[in-house]
Amino acid sequence: MPPKPVPAWLNSSAWASKPRSPVRSSYSFKEISTIQRETTSAPPVGEIGGQEEKDPSSSSSSGGGSVRGAVTHQQTATLTTQARGNGLGTSSQQLSRRRIHLAELQRLSSQGIPDSGSIRPISWKILLGYLPKNQDDWATELAKKRAEYMIFRDEMIINPSEVTRRKEEMEALKAADMEAKEGLLLRQEITHDDHPLSLGTTSVWHQFFQDTELAEQINRDVKRTHPDMDFFCGDTAYACENQEALKRILFIFAKLNPGIRYVQGMNEVLAPLYYVFKTDRDDTDGAHAEEDSFFCFVELLSDFRDHFCQQLDNSAVGIRSTIAQLTALLRRHDEELWRHLEYTSKVNPQFYAFRWITLLLTQEFSFFDSIRLWDSLLSNPDGPLEILLRVCCAMLLCQRSRLLAGDFTTNLKLLQHYPAIDIQHLLWVADDLRG
Amino acid sequence: MVLVLALGDLHIPHRAADLPAKFKSMLVPGKIQHILSPGNLCIKEVHDYLKSLCGDVHITRGEYDDDSRYPETKQLTIGAFKLGICHGHQVIPWGDLESLAMLQRQLDVDILITGHTHQFKAYKHEGGVIINPGSATGAYSSITYDINPSFVLMDIDGLRVVVYVYELIDGEVKVDKIDFKKAQGSS
Repeated sequence: MPPKPVPAWLNSSAWASKPRSPVRSSYSFKEISTIQRETTSAPPVGEIGGQEEKDPSSSSSSGGGSVRGAVTHQQTATLTTQARGNGLGTSSQQLSRRRIHLAELQRLSSQGIPDSGSIRPISWKILLGYLPKNQDDWATELAKKRAEYMIFRDEMIINPSEVTRRKEEMEALKAADMEAKEGLLLRQEITHDDHPLSLGTTSVWHQFFQDTELAEQINRDVKRTHPDMDFFCGDTAYACENQEALKRILFIFAKLNPGIRYVQGMNEVLAPLYYVFKTDRDDTDGAHAEEDSFFCFVELLSDFRDHFCQQLDNSAVGIRSTIAQLTALLRRHDEELWRHLEYTSKVNPQFYAFRWITLLLTQEFSFFDSIRLWDSLLSNPDGPLEILLRVCCAMLLCQRSRLLAGDFTTNLKLLQHYPAIDIQHLLWVADDLRG
Repeated sequence: MVLVLALGDLHIPHRAADLPAKFKSMLVPGKIQHILSPGNLCIKEVHDYLKSLCGDVHITRGEYDDDSRYPETKQLTIGAFKLGICHGHQVIPWGDLESLAMLQRQLDVDILITGHTHQFKAYKHEGGVIINPGSATGAYSSITYDINPSFVLMDIDGLRVVVYVYELIDGEVKVDKIDFKKAQGSS
């Protein structure tokens, strides 16, 4: 977008007390984006279509950009055929390309990844660096990583009875001894303090009991993740399976990272990743959702792990400093609002921004809105934190009139229960704050 | 993987003051799911202590127990196993394995926990297994003074039971184990 002297968001109709109807906004945004696409070269459109299953519907909707489809199908078709017209010519060349152009993928994803096909899971995996850029390497990489996860799983999640039984079988005890004998049963020596009450650190049992506490904490949080969604919560075997997978991922992560272990909130960050990978249309990939989401979770958290560490709270990388960056950003763009929040209504940014930042906005919007938001978050070339701060700033700016009119209680209530808003518009405002 | 503690014949405060310190340091709450005690605790304070280790406590009446409301025998099911508890002073001759086997058949249980002799014993016959955890305090019995404190922890895992025997010999805790499997399909 060409730089404008007056920020466009200032003139937008979001300053009315009610948010605008979604139809208008997405339509106008799509107009702008498709005009843009026609002027720029079309290979990226073809590229997305080329790498995935060449699904015609998916490429047309990616040409459209917005996921909402609030505009009628016909309009979509006419708008996108113009874009595709340019793309098809070079897309056939692109289909044979095996190397993914990361910058182009990022640019396209930030405008919203279409829901159809397996585009979103694969894009997220590429954007998080889980899948390498060269398509030929995918099979080997995936196999390697998935095997690695299975090793972790076997090592970390221990059932002490199983372990003792396996040990005995290795010591070649005759099975007949256990079965038919009558009379006084003989006692056997045990080695390595391997009894359940052992306090020794070498004992499998001791480790197991120490882990039970961690497992219980994770269990409590996983049970409360998205209680309104059948995918996560409920009595069905499917929901239980998903919950077990989430628990295992978080447990293994906690054991592999004794520095931060498990902190409440990690389950919320993991949930969208796991959901997107599990609901992959491609069944083979969907079956390995657990392994893939583990590694992507690790990648994603590597940017944000300092926010979860309590000791780093006051340091230069901790959550407090990130919140300070947010307020600085707000001050830069809208001093009046900043002053009002800081001094007049005295709303400490920690009260609202803490949850926004640590949970990557998963709790502020509906689940599918936050997935759309994550498309942009993960595809930012400068890293997800940078765009997260801009989106948070945009969230404040979009509620400007209500915030300026409110006092401490109303402002806090507003920010902690952020009202529904059109995500496209929010991202547009955030985009404008760049630079 | 269910952990079941079996200990009895403590005779606190008459014959012993308390459990040995080494045993007490090992028995921490949170690990054990059930406690079965053949009896002779003898006072309420010991009952409360056992309750603090685990919520699910089953006790039968020994001849010196203060609380007369404990039943003579008890049966419960844990996992695939049926367990029975009885103090054993009712079964004459005391500690006679054939007579205890009769009791086991009467109660129709796979594992019978019994006491009174203050000697650890684990005996298998075609009806099942009889386990006597001994005396956890090492209190003297009607028969002999020479008693080593001992108790039993069972790990019930599917059709298999691993019985860990904890015995205090010369001031050191010695742990042994006994394995047995229940025949598939038998009731």
